[in-house]
Amino acid sequence: MSLLKAEDITVRDGGTTLLAPLSLSLEPGEPLVVLGETGSGKSLMAQALMGTLPPELQATGHVALGNRELNAGDPDRFRGLWGREIGVLPQEPWLSLDPLMRVDRQVAEAHALVRGLSRRDALARASVDLDALGLSGAGASYPHQLSGGMAQRVAIAAARAGGARIVIADEPTKGLDAARRDDVANLLLTEMGETGGILVITHDLALARRIGGRLIVLRAGAVVERGTTREIFAAPRAAYTKELFAADPENWTPRRQRAATGATVIGAKDLSVARAGRTLFSGLSFEILAGGILGVTGPSGCGKSSLGDALLGLVAPAQGTVARTPEAHPFAFQKLYQDPVAAFPRKRSLGKTLQDMQGLIKGQQPKIETLLDALGLDPRLLARRPGAVSGGELQRFALLRILLRQPRFVFADEPTSRLDPITQAKVIELFVRTAVQDNVALMLVSHDPALIRNTGDAVLSLDPASPPVGGELAETTPAASFGVS
Amino acid sequence: MSALDIHAAPRRGLPWSRVIGSVLLLMVAALAALGSLVVPGDPFAQSLAKALSGPEPAAPLGYDHLGRSIYHRLVHALRLSPLIALAAVATAGAAGLILGSLAAARGGWIDRALVMLADALLALPGLLLVLIVLAMMPGTAVGFWAGLSLVLWVEFFRLTRAATRETLASPAVQASRLLGFGPAYVFRIHVWPEIAPMMLTAAAFGTATAIMAIAALGFVYVGMRAPAPELGLMMVELLPYWREAPMALLSPVIATFVLLLGLTLLAGSREQ
Repeated sequence: MSLLKAEDITVRDGGTTLLAPLSLSLEPGEPLVVLGETGSGKSLMAQALMGTLPPELQATGHVALGNRELNAGDPDRFRGLWGREIGVLPQEPWLSLDPLMRVDRQVAEAHALVRGLSRRDALARASVDLDALGLSGAGASYPHQLSGGMAQRVAIAAARAGGARIVIADEPTKGLDAARRDDVANLLLTEMGETGGILVITHDLALARRIGGRLIVLRAGAVVERGTTREIFAAPRAAYTKELFAADPENWTPRRQRAATGATVIGAKDLSVARAGRTLFSGLSFEILAGGILGVTGPSGCGKSSLGDALLGLVAPAQGTVARTPEAHPFAFQKLYQDPVAAFPRKRSLGKTLQDMQGLIKGQQPKIETLLDALGLDPRLLARRPGAVSGGELQRFALLRILLRQPRFVFADEPTSRLDPITQAKVIELFVRTAVQDNVALMLVSHDPALIRNTGDAVLSLDPASPPVGGELAETTPAASFGVS
Repeated sequence: MSALDIHAAPRRGLPWSRVIGSVLLLMVAALAALGSLVVPGDPFAQSLAKALSGPEPAAPLGYDHLGRSIYHRLVHALRLSPLIALAAVATAGAAGLILGSLAAARGGWIDRALVMLADALLALPGLLLVLIVLAMMPGTAVGFWAGLSLVLWVEFFRLTRAATRETLASPAVQASRLLGFGPAYVFRIHVWPEIAPMMLTAAAFGTATAIMAIAALGFVYVGMRAPAPELGLMMVELLPYWREAPMALLSPVIATFVLLLGLTLLAGSREQ
């Protein structure tokens, strides 16, 4: 018998339908994955199932939980199920744990308040739960003493403490390194066991594949495709699913690496950078030529961004030198940011910001209209503020603003890590094409090794785990003349 | 992606407290500006025969213990303290803004010296500082202006410094600088929009503080000197006659209350 059966769940905001009628069932021991990009309605669906939609949205449909029938339009009835029947694994659990409370207390709280156990029993149960998740001895720690993965396990223990057999995990890998992704998937699968149910909501293809079970692909509030995860990954039928899979950096066709011919634009010699007294990497030497793309990858905290900042002179190197080509003008060295919204003046329209840019430069310069056209941007967006356009569009606007400056070198710091895969593929393709066309040296930084591998002319991997001191070049392409030592 | 993304923007209603605050202030301002045009009269003219007598057409609020029209004294008092307060807030705001941005932009010893000075002033009771300045320039509006400016700039300085530091460290400012924009652009486009709403709130609170300080010092006879019509001074002069003429005492009290309430409502209703 199904743990949860939902029929014709619909979500509306006044007259607009945000989620078209959707039915699903959750079976014990068989995970269900809902895959979709930002705005596909997958989080709305989870909220409708939980009765936690914001009050201005209306839901209709039926939810059957065990032997209970609930109306999605009457969310107050769901409240009694929270924690007891359905548990939610919050996004970025290290942010949702109480930073001032020992973790065993946080888990015990759910036992005491939801199940009504006595304090002592609740603590005893909490320590059993933590032991079962491999956290023996961590009960007395505070959340900041735990790694991201450990915090996630604590959050799972707390979510399940009320006896919930169904766990809804909304973007469980958000904010985690690729390396941690498999741990999370294994953890969720172990937790589910033979009798529990999990509903995983994600945009992460690797996670979806790892979780397995059954898959629903959502787009713009409608189901595009459904079936078993294995079959869909093996042979997607819908055009959108195909596009989505093709956009995964793992599946990109590697760029033909060209023998670089241009002049050196920027170079590092024996470079070391330290942050807060810790050496991030040392003895790094390389050159980037005009039109060349250097891909930099490595786990978070390895100094990828600091390397770029050091090249731009935003961070002083601990040792070594950065040499720029003398013929470039002083503002020819530019940066693209991870979060483009934070890189624009918050309260100014994009058009005004770009006009400011044009007003600053004397002499001949590219036209905004031509660039809008080349980057596939709608001129009507110029009237909006940075917060009111999509991430992919804004990142293209950031590129446009930099192109007005006629750059020679661009450091792109995780420029697509907040974009969904299809947009990411388009934006990266655009960046690469622009760099090659305009003969701009590009340093592309990403935590995703596949993206870097398939994009860069040369790859620099900064992994503090492998080399004894600082970083080393795990992979370089000798064909491209990046003098790397 | 997150649950928060889809929350519709909070429906923005009219900020009622701000509207009410503005209406109250406009009423007080209209009384101060037009009061003596509507009913002509002299706030200093005495006629002891009419001492503490009730309202009449030439003196709509009656007479005080020296037979002066309370209405006309009130109209003048409502010009005096708000004007001093506004001048002090303008000076303090400008000083705080300039010094705060300077400290945030330069850092180093300039920042440390200014913060130390501000902290030292903050450690002194505000009224004491005003009294020290008033001891040099007793009973004058200029003394009040100087003393109050000296007290009030600290708040503006601290707000500006904190917000400017945060803004200057943001990627948006880093991007603008990399693109070649100068400090004037960074201040105008990045910093000012962030601090302007805070400045308005601080200015309204600062004005209320200043008006209260002038009235409080008048009330204990160390502020403006008689016969100047001033709110605190009027209250203390009429206090002995509260039994015979309660309305006479209540007029400056109500006027002060309305003024301060208006300013507080205007200041305190910043959304989130």
